[in-house]
Amino acid sequence: MASEKVSKGEKYPPPKRFQVADIQVAREATAVKPEVVAKMLNKAKNPVLVTGKFLLREPELVDIAVKFYEKGIPIIATGGSSKPLIEKGVKPLSVVYTLHQITQYMLDPDWKGFNGTAYDTVVYLGFTPYYLSRMLSAMKHFSKITTISIDEFYHPHARFSFTNLTKDKELHYEMLRKVVEGLEERK
Amino acid sequence: MVFELKEGIFVLDELKNVSIKIGKVIEEEEEWTEPIGPTPMPGILELRNWDRKLMERYEPFYAPMSDYCNLCTMGPCDLSQNKKGACGIDLKTTKARLVTIACCIGAAAHTAHARHLLNHIIEEYGEDTPIDLGPNINVEAPNIRLICGIKPKTLGDLRAALDWAESEIVKVLHSTHIGNEEDYIDYESKAMHVSMADHVGMEVADIAQMVAYNLPKAEPDTPLVDTGFGIVDRTKPVIVVVGHNVMYARPVADYLEEQGLIDQFEIAGLCCTAHDMVRYNAKAKIFGPIYYQLRVIRAGLPDVIISDEQCIRADLLSACKSMGIPLIATSDAACRGLPNRNDDPVDEIIKDILSGKTPGVFLDDGEKLAEVAVKVAQEIFKRKQKKELFLTDEELKEEVSKCTQCMNCVFTCPHNLRIDQGMKAGQDGDYSKLSALEEVCIACGKCEQVCPKNIRIINVIMKTGYNSLVSKTGRTRVGRGPIQDTEIRNVGQPIVFGQIPGVIAAVGCINYPDVMQDIRDILEEFLKRRYIVVTSGCHAMDIGMLKDEDGQTLYEKYPGNFDAGCLVNTGSCVSNSHIAGAVIKIANIFAMRPLRGNYEEIADYTLNRVGAVGFSWGPYSHKAASIATGFNRLGVPVVVGPHGTKYRRAYIGKLWKSEKWWVYDIKSRQKVHIEPAPDVLIAAVETKEEAIVQLARLCIRPNDTSQGRQIKLTHYLELSQKYLGALPDDWHLYVRSEADLPLKMKDSLLKILEEEHGWKIDWDKKKIVEGAIRHFDAGFNPTIVEAVYEKYTKK
Repeated sequence: MASEKVSKGEKYPPPKRFQVADIQVAREATAVKPEVVAKMLNKAKNPVLVTGKFLLREPELVDIAVKFYEKGIPIIATGGSSKPLIEKGVKPLSVVYTLHQITQYMLDPDWKGFNGTAYDTVVYLGFTPYYLSRMLSAMKHFSKITTISIDEFYHPHARFSFTNLTKDKELHYEMLRKVVEGLEERK
Repeated sequence: MVFELKEGIFVLDELKNVSIKIGKVIEEEEEWTEPIGPTPMPGILELRNWDRKLMERYEPFYAPMSDYCNLCTMGPCDLSQNKKGACGIDLKTTKARLVTIACCIGAAAHTAHARHLLNHIIEEYGEDTPIDLGPNINVEAPNIRLICGIKPKTLGDLRAALDWAESEIVKVLHSTHIGNEEDYIDYESKAMHVSMADHVGMEVADIAQMVAYNLPKAEPDTPLVDTGFGIVDRTKPVIVVVGHNVMYARPVADYLEEQGLIDQFEIAGLCCTAHDMVRYNAKAKIFGPIYYQLRVIRAGLPDVIISDEQCIRADLLSACKSMGIPLIATSDAACRGLPNRNDDPVDEIIKDILSGKTPGVFLDDGEKLAEVAVKVAQEIFKRKQKKELFLTDEELKEEVSKCTQCMNCVFTCPHNLRIDQGMKAGQDGDYSKLSALEEVCIACGKCEQVCPKNIRIINVIMKTGYNSLVSKTGRTRVGRGPIQDTEIRNVGQPIVFGQIPGVIAAVGCINYPDVMQDIRDILEEFLKRRYIVVTSGCHAMDIGMLKDEDGQTLYEKYPGNFDAGCLVNTGSCVSNSHIAGAVIKIANIFAMRPLRGNYEEIADYTLNRVGAVGFSWGPYSHKAASIATGFNRLGVPVVVGPHGTKYRRAYIGKLWKSEKWWVYDIKSRQKVHIEPAPDVLIAAVETKEEAIVQLARLCIRPNDTSQGRQIKLTHYLELSQKYLGALPDDWHLYVRSEADLPLKMKDSLLKILEEEHGWKIDWDKKKIVEGAIRHFDAGFNPTIVEAVYEKYTKK
């Protein structure tokens, strides 16, 4: 995995915490390239995509989420992100539960998810950074589930995160598209 | 020989050489025949079982802000992945301890405020001053009656309640010392305990000031006062009060009235002092909430600022100094490094301020303070040169041109606002992106400290967003204080049975995740649907700024009664106690449940029957933590905005754990599995859309009648379809019989129940035969408290 980390000199900007004061001691997210995200999702037994607020603002994110869904990765929609997804034919696993509730459920090893099997890998897309950060922190400390943030801000609490793409929106979308391209169709 | 008689009946006969010291004469309480309940003035242990019941169902959730603990000298300790520190405490318990400390701070703030106010008021008006909250209030201190088991009749009687609250705050704070609790649930119980004490502190403070200062007493039609950035007439000297204790602002209004100057000055407030100021004198005005401080100061609007306590910027003095605005600090909680000038003559103090010898003074002598403030404001106003607010056009251009888009500001902004993009567009002559930031910016100033080019970012944002800032000027209905007993009589039954679908209480500070307009949209959705909407604090003043296309704020559109489709502003932070008080009074006045020292029964009643939900769209103070946690212990769920996750802890139930969702039914004398209603005690939402749906959802209660459940489900389902694009995932859990189903959707919902959830439906009768968690029973009488069950089944 180490060779697939984002390193200096690449076209991706360095990982910089979404909030400089969010200082961690133990473990910071590994900044990963899109190809790695796709590989991890392909290897995962039961991955899920969780979507948030920014799908209400950025149609590009909705399109990406739809493609995840079409490749067989189910979606838990929060924050009202269900509406644009449903309009594009997605049937989310849930629409009403908040990310706060979903995280609480995921922290419980007894939870079997919405489809009867516990999730082993969770990808987050389209969240308010400070809100997602707290949820990722809870997951980091109290769960063994692999968390991946593919938002434009680098998230130190995730297990894996995109680097900061805040300067270049197009680069972010390009990376998201690369993840989708790398996804194998799930049965 | 000395006898000390503390309390009780004594017979003294044929005693010689005896002196008798009487601690306090307890008058016989003839009219309060209510028997004393099980937990008057409870200690930490008395309600612990209730808390553990709540925690069993609503499991604490922790989202650490930091991986480590550095509270003692054995550390710092890395507690990540729930490791233990040098003292043995693990990460979860550390976070529970931190929440407990936050609640202690919040409770201490209100309670110290109450003590300060009460002592002062008793000194001025006497301890025998009767507590009279108007003709429509007989249950005048529901929190104190419920929690302390006493019925205060005079200001002096409030002391006993405060004594209790102070003692409990100290005890809980003690528990946070190294080497005490090792169980996070026990810390949560303590957080709840101290937060319950907070509601007592708030109630004492507000009752004391209502009685002494003759603030509105539960009248629904209080005056409307100007609110927002654009309220002041800049041709007059402007005195600005900031904080939470009106005790110091009040003498200024009195002085101006006495001198016949009130119409020649502007008095405007920031944060809750503004609420209490306009409750005292409706000629005063409300600038806005806590985050308006730097907006107002940087604009140079005040000619003098009087600060008191809580939620005031910790750099107020330097902010004032940089604008040449003298500051008068008045509270011993926030002396701001200023010299205490109480013993000096007024003229000397004024001279020192105006000469610039001192940027401000500490003065808590009300009369002196008033005279100094007025005279200083008058002189500063005369000297003030007319300047453009924030920046001139040239200055703006120059500031914006300095930006290199390094993004340091973005990575330090609490909202990660895209200041870089705004500056870039501004450099190309388009200020619209910068202007749009005004709505969300809390003007904290962190961005300016990290800007390598020293750009005055707040000024840039406010200058470009000036039109937006000034347009948010409207009118707030002055805080009315408590809810009348008669109002409770009218709405108690429809609330408990569900015909009034819920009570939404929008309280606390403001740190919006998005545009300010959202708060209006959220509340108006419920007002139109004839929920009761209650508000206080910064939420209450923000909705006084937002007008619709007809130029009306919500206060001008909806009446101020505690009734369906009405909007009640109770007042400042301490007026939150009246919202808890209204919930308590529903159990007491409508359901005739005894109050006196009977906390557990009333909280249990609320949890199972009263569809009230707290809402804090942008909480940030410690007081917001204790207010919310106090509501949680009372059985009222709370929804917070996304910043609320930084309190680190939530209470969230797990729907699939059916064994957690049960009650004792007093009627059938059985333990019954129930629907998960409510399934959350406190959780955060991310968007306006999510907030609206969650609020509707959390109004559902096990005790709803069929008609009530049908109304609540109608709103829940409609709102979910409107904002989430689909029916909510859990609606079927709340259906007990076909009568619960929204009429317009009945057939389609029955079909979904049959096809998607496997329920058996009798289509001839359109009846549910099988599938529901439980069937509706008109006599259903739920409780989760064994003692309550035993009490009512013994009858």
